Amino acid sequence: MSKKLSQVLEESGISLDYQAGGIPPEETTDREIKREPTPRASRLRDLYYQTLSSATNEFPYWYTRKYMGLDSEIPVVRRALALKCAFSHLTPTIFPGELIVMGKANYYRGSFPMPWLSEGYYMAKEDELYQAALERGSTSSDEVSEFGSGGGNVTKNFGNVVSIAGKFGIRREELPALLKVARAWVGKSVDDLGHKYEQMVPEYGIKEAVMKSMVCMFDSGYTLPQGREVINYYYLLQHGFDGLIEIAEKKKDEAAGRAGGDGMVGMNRLYNYEAAIHVLEGIRKWILNYAEEAERLEAMEEDAVQKKEYNDIKECLNWIAHHPPRTFREALQLCWTIHVAVLNEDAISGLSPGRLGQVLYPWFEQDIESGRITEAEVLELLECLRVKFTCLDCFASMGVVGGVLSGNTFNNLSLGGLTPEGAPASNRLEELIIDAAISCVTTQPTLSVLYDDKLPERFMLKAIECVKTGTGYPAFMNNRVAMEFLLKHYGPEGMNVEESRAFAIGGCLETSPCSWMPLELNGKKYLIPGGSGQPTSVGIHFISLPKILELALFNGLDHRTSLQVFPPHNKKFETYDELFEQVKTYFAKAVEVLSLTNNIQHDVWRKNNMAIFNSILKPDCLEKGHLINEMGYRYNATHNVETCGNINMVNSLASLKKLVYQDKEFTLEEFKEALQENFGFKTAAEVGSYSLADQEKKENADRYDRIHFLCLTAPKYGNDDPYVDSILKEWENWFCAMCYDHESLNAKPYYPCQISVSTHAPMGAATLATPDGRLSGTTFADGSMSAYPGTDRNGPYALFTSATCWDHSNSQNSQMNLKIHPSAIQGIEGARKLLELTRAYMRKGGFHIQYNIVDSRMLRDAQRIPDRYRDLVVRVAGFTQYWVEIGKPIQDEVIARTEYEGV
Amino acid sequence: MEQKYKNLDCRNYAPVDVAKGICHVRKEMVAADGEACERFEKMPKCKHCANYTPREEKLLGDCEAPEDPHMTYPDLIATTCEWFSWKK
Repeated sequence: MSKKLSQVLEESGISLDYQAGGIPPEETTDREIKREPTPRASRLRDLYYQTLSSATNEFPYWYTRKYMGLDSEIPVVRRALALKCAFSHLTPTIFPGELIVMGKANYYRGSFPMPWLSEGYYMAKEDELYQAALERGSTSSDEVSEFGSGGGNVTKNFGNVVSIAGKFGIRREELPALLKVARAWVGKSVDDLGHKYEQMVPEYGIKEAVMKSMVCMFDSGYTLPQGREVINYYYLLQHGFDGLIEIAEKKKDEAAGRAGGDGMVGMNRLYNYEAAIHVLEGIRKWILNYAEEAERLEAMEEDAVQKKEYNDIKECLNWIAHHPPRTFREALQLCWTIHVAVLNEDAISGLSPGRLGQVLYPWFEQDIESGRITEAEVLELLECLRVKFTCLDCFASMGVVGGVLSGNTFNNLSLGGLTPEGAPASNRLEELIIDAAISCVTTQPTLSVLYDDKLPERFMLKAIECVKTGTGYPAFMNNRVAMEFLLKHYGPEGMNVEESRAFAIGGCLETSPCSWMPLELNGKKYLIPGGSGQPTSVGIHFISLPKILELALFNGLDHRTSLQVFPPHNKKFETYDELFEQVKTYFAKAVEVLSLTNNIQHDVWRKNNMAIFNSILKPDCLEKGHLINEMGYRYNATHNVETCGNINMVNSLASLKKLVYQDKEFTLEEFKEALQENFGFKTAAEVGSYSLADQEKKENADRYDRIHFLCLTAPKYGNDDPYVDSILKEWENWFCAMCYDHESLNAKPYYPCQISVSTHAPMGAATLATPDGRLSGTTFADGSMSAYPGTDRNGPYALFTSATCWDHSNSQNSQMNLKIHPSAIQGIEGARKLLELTRAYMRKGGFHIQYNIVDSRMLRDAQRIPDRYRDLVVRVAGFTQYWVEIGKPIQDEVIARTEYEGV
Repeated sequence: MEQKYKNLDCRNYAPVDVAKGICHVRKEMVAADGEACERFEKMPKCKHCANYTPREEKLLGDCEAPEDPHMTYPDLIATTCEWFSWKK
């Protein structure tokens, strides 16, 4: 019988189930902290658990109908009118028991495609989808219920439901019309137009090969053109819809016919203000449609309590559709409405609410003081908000939603940090936000603590209590490191120390520039933080570092696709330095070509598909009269280069340096042969699985056992070993600097971003075995600072020393995941240990750390019996996800991560 | 013959997802394709509109509202449509 990888590793003294710092208790241990939500939130969350991810054609239909009828209109006004039409026609649905209402579509967990970004999927699948639409299915409840495992993903057709991209269900009645709508965008979408022009880049052939060979994962210009940024709720909270429209009307009058000293785009201010007014009117109508629906439901409702709730919803919506909010509940509802409206404007993942507890604090403070609301009522509202956030879906292609995002939408709520004066910014409302996250465990919004030594102990222990629920949040981000990065990177655009203190996390862990906004409520003045930068993670997504190393070793040829990705270098690599230089050369070539094609795609996006609503929410668009496409935002240097597989590349270079160049155990040719032969293991395709745990050795294939053993036992990152850490440091210093050699479409430098999201699975799947002993097709280490599973064997403090051998403030972020057994942090003593561990990493200069508090045996049980674990969540990379909604390779990778039994 | 309607054709059906929804009257989860009950109230949809003409192509039709004639489809919900008027 074939040996499994786990057996081979164990024989080498390595374990896929490595437990560091002790042995776990015999019995599987559940998480220590468990609380129940309020009955209302519990019912709404239960409803979510039963809900399938559902798509509708309403928004695309109305958007396209209007847009196509305006072909000679000014582009920004044309888009605004199409958005207004779409928002105005969305069908409002209110579900019983909801306090916070409105959603992306009329379904509880609804979303819709945006063929104006990319219609290619529908055209490629047109016949198949059309046939599926015409086949009238049976409708037994058995068919529906079989989708219980896998969470809410609609992975196949059933009844009158057609699966799109293995994730979303759409009613067959809507499909032929959706295909017609998609067809209208052929040759006009951002994808099609961008592709037409990107081919004019002289080395476009390299880009094509880079994408096909999975050196790079996806184009951001037409998949997720916005997001990984912090929203700004301020203008509507302060002025309301009517007030903002009035401001825009006044500014329009001032701008009409005047260039304002800018002969290039000064005249555009008129059209931009006109567009802003149209969109604001459309969203106002959308809110009022919900208010009408609440009124209709109130009229037919017989239950007095529910009737009153519909009345309250109606009153709230009718007010916020016109005026600034008066109460905490109105402010919360308005923030949610703004959030959904921005998400409906474009395909966005990672639209973060920012420091919501600080944004809403003025209403909280005044309502509590006046007795208008109790903390218990606030908690219930916050729990309801969590369910609403969790119902958000991002409609994008299978590769993006599954391969990159694992179905997550990355609405990251930041807590803590500092005030403009440098005092702790945490407040009582933020503690309630954490309480809601403890009692109502859901995947969204995820939480991030902007860690500063000044934050109160009580607040930090509350955050640790939440970590102990096993949700994976809050993550901890280093305030000092983030401020240093922001000042270095956005200094040329005017960032100063006070403004850098306003920052928050956009997406999973993208440091995003924010600003302090002056809010007045009932005569009292506040400064509230809000986003003021463009999407902070658009650009080159993601470059696989182990794949770059593979191509350097194999003369630029990708063995999986037989493509010559980069020009052959024809070097024999007599020295290790020569090899490392070639890795850098190929990497730089990939960045060069991808930056050019990426700039073109985003330029096409901003010409025809620019953000209007999101733009006017952010300083200084309204003041300047310029939207995102004319750099109206305060901070515009937001394009980046993202990498994946950092640690596998570093470990591999260490292995090659030691075994080939230092100890001369093998020649490079022998090494390459072993990699191509997958160290004598079957290929992942032969095994039928890309999971670590499933890999099998070929019968009688012992030829590569020694080299594999030596690769596995070569120096590894995460052990405070200067041999490897010096390689990491050299790479980071070079990589962080080289991004600045490339210019974005905003004529600003690119910067480095080091997060994996879920790309470490699909990118691993496309990569040969690596010199660190990792097998072909299997996942890379997650994040950028996490050790490869089972290789960090000297305890967490050694891992921290390795991780901080370079200056994290040179990068937008870095990412460290740690898995800890629940028994290691039991009680208040355990909580304090975890807090001290976190502080230790932050004080060493680490940017980010987050924890999976889980017994790996529970995860294995959940793999066997997923139906019992519908509510089990784990931290994957920068996000938390339901266990049943993530793919098996990532599940296996999470199980395989080193489990710390003591801290 | 009297036309049979489904739950998803009812004004009081709140669609949870593509397969099921909550009936605001009966206060329970019902299947989208389940047969509507005696308290059925017709949902405004293009197929019920005076401006709607079906096409030969299945599941497609035309909106002939004079202000903006355009392709449409029978099950497009029309509660927010300014041109909707019940077919006589």
